[in-house]
Amino acid sequence: MATLKAFTMPKWGIEMSEGTISEWMVGENEPFTKGAVLTLVETDKITNEIEAEAAGRFVRILAEAGGTYPVGALLAVLSDGEAAAADIDAFVANFKQADTSFEPDAGAADAKAPPAAAPPPPAAPEIPAGIAISPVALTRAAAAGVDVATIKGSGPGGRITAQDIDQVVRPVASNTLAGPYPLSPDTDVFASPMAKRLSVLHDVPLAGISGTGARGRVRKADVLAQIQPVAPQATVVAPPVSGVTVNAMSSMRRTIARRLTESKATIPHFYIRRRVRADRLLALRAAVQGQRPSVNDYLIRACALALMEVPQVNIQVHGNDIHRFESADIAVAVATEKGLVTPIVTRADERSIVDISAAMQALAQRAKAGKLKPEEFTGGSFSLSNLGGFGVEQFDAIINPPQGAILAVGTARPEPIDDDGAIRIVPVLHLSLSCDHRAIDGADGGRFMAALANLIERPELL
Amino acid sequence: MAIMNIREAINRTLHAEMERDSNIIVLGEDVVGGAGTAGGQEAIGGIWGTTGGLYAKFGAGRVIDTPISESAIIGAAAGAALAGKRPVAELMFADFIGVSLDQLWNQMAKFRYMFGGKTKCPAVVRMIYGAGMNAAAQHSQSVYALLTAMPGLKVVLPATPADAKGLLTEALRGDDPVMFMEHKTLYGVKGEVPDGEYRQRFGEARVVREGGDVTIVACGRMVGFAEKTCDKLAAEGIGADLLDLRTTSPLDEEAILDSVEETGRLVIVDESPPRCSLAADIAAIVASKAFTSLKAPPAMVTGPHSPIPYARELERAWVPSPQKIEDAVRHVLAFR
Repeated sequence: MATLKAFTMPKWGIEMSEGTISEWMVGENEPFTKGAVLTLVETDKITNEIEAEAAGRFVRILAEAGGTYPVGALLAVLSDGEAAAADIDAFVANFKQADTSFEPDAGAADAKAPPAAAPPPPAAPEIPAGIAISPVALTRAAAAGVDVATIKGSGPGGRITAQDIDQVVRPVASNTLAGPYPLSPDTDVFASPMAKRLSVLHDVPLAGISGTGARGRVRKADVLAQIQPVAPQATVVAPPVSGVTVNAMSSMRRTIARRLTESKATIPHFYIRRRVRADRLLALRAAVQGQRPSVNDYLIRACALALMEVPQVNIQVHGNDIHRFESADIAVAVATEKGLVTPIVTRADERSIVDISAAMQALAQRAKAGKLKPEEFTGGSFSLSNLGGFGVEQFDAIINPPQGAILAVGTARPEPIDDDGAIRIVPVLHLSLSCDHRAIDGADGGRFMAALANLIERPELL
Repeated sequence: MAIMNIREAINRTLHAEMERDSNIIVLGEDVVGGAGTAGGQEAIGGIWGTTGGLYAKFGAGRVIDTPISESAIIGAAAGAALAGKRPVAELMFADFIGVSLDQLWNQMAKFRYMFGGKTKCPAVVRMIYGAGMNAAAQHSQSVYALLTAMPGLKVVLPATPADAKGLLTEALRGDDPVMFMEHKTLYGVKGEVPDGEYRQRFGEARVVREGGDVTIVACGRMVGFAEKTCDKLAAEGIGADLLDLRTTSPLDEEAILDSVEETGRLVIVDESPPRCSLAADIAAIVASKAFTSLKAPPAMVTGPHSPIPYARELERAWVPSPQKIEDAVRHVLAFR
């Protein structure tokens, strides 16, 4: 069977869009050899011959001499031998002209309905002499009652734009600043900056997460997928009331909210309360010459030593694993303008009161300036929260996960105690220990409180 | 970690890489230093001193002083790269890419693509750019936006000694043409550089400062300026995410968009005229992809649309400054 090929209007040069057949040099079904001149084509610029690229024949000639045809149009059907008329008809019917245009992907654009006739534009307001202003800006200014003569334009050549009018009309933005964040720690994991930040914020290790970004980079979404989703709760959005300022939570506030909600919702808390006499501790502190450590510094040290005595409390809970710590890394709650942060006094069991006091001062200062490094507030095996400074007598605290326990301390108030059979009135501290019952039992908590009370009541041991 | 400046970091990386890979050659104007003078070749490494000692160690076969012809330097580098070498070509002043544009843009950048991936062109073009040294309009320009606009080229702008080492090593290990842009005022910047082999991936922005109120995007010399601004603003409780792009092609779009989604405010610092600049490009990306996160229009801190002036005072006024960055941050924060 003969092979049919299309003989089409050639494209000579970028600009050629159509050509005229001057003359056919061969007739239908007249065999020709390679190199034979088949036809003459005339364009805007030249007249040129088309030579046969191979031996063959035209089994059908469609274009008439003198006719003008677009580039790519089917002019004749080539064949290497005789062909049946039906085959030729089918070939012609199925021929699709190649796209030789330079239009960017015309495609669907052709199908678009013509745009509906636009309504006539409103009459433009008259622009005051000597003022450069866009018509829309002028209309908006008139509607808002703004005197355009007082506005400094930000457009080209000081022209007043619609945005300039909007800026004048709208109230000044009252921004709640989120403030600087500590730099995320350096990591070898290939992750985006936001993924790194979120991994620290949510305590999700990056190693092991398979990244879905370009070249396997760990993305924000990959880290978020690792964070246990908290069931969304239907929140009732109260309508704004006059006299109420609505401030969006800062990201720090949101993190505190999320972590504590998670803690209270998922950790079975129980509380152990105990009064301890603080008179001897306060006397010891009063005897210090020069810079005195705070009561809290003594308590950090006391907690650390008590944790060494009762290591069952010196833990973190990770899923089904309990991580027991060899040293006492105590997170201390510090109130800052932006919210609660808990810098960590590491190895408090090995450090002197003076050392702890200096470390704590530096940490609190950095916390208040928002300059804590991530390693200074992540981790820790136990937390201490002291509201004594506000006159609070007693309170219970929420566990700071993944830690297993937190001690809440109130102010030292004079109270009567039984001192070897005699009633004496001395300063007394109220302590409340919150424990994660998944890992710590009542007996462990009780032993810890006993050890702690002993240390506070016999401060020379500290 | 050793403390060194960017010049030393580049020089030591070249030494180390040339020892490792005998295919690496260095060519450029005066890369040996002193050639043709009465004193003879000195291997001081040209006017920037970045190629010092290479000639003495690796010889004339691998450290080649060229005529003052950028088209010859880049053309030779492109050809050598095709033939299996790993050339490091140096343009003493990036401003003169104009005369080598065909070699860069139509040849180097296109080889791999036009030969269907069957060939590669592992050439590194080190070029020295930037204003601030009173070098006038033809020796002060930042041409990275031009190069970033050319698909097929990677564009790298180290701002620290560690990045200079990491990015140059990465450039020399890759198989594509890399435009390695060195800011002429940054050569003396000192910092810690990791010992041993150290590579820094392309397309990974460096987070210089973190904060939740504004995103500042910068590269090259502008990173240090923006750092000063960030530290000043931090004292007022204004927190900025400062991103050092490290490479403009590939661009770490993700880092920029993630940050803007959190801060809602963007300031881009770009040491070039504003039109069709890197700043304009990033502003457009953010406006198109993070429009709903924006609380203020993206602010561009650039030079004016003018050649860089020669007069010291005018040049200082031309270059974006920490004060101008601060003004832009305050502008986007106060936007209502």
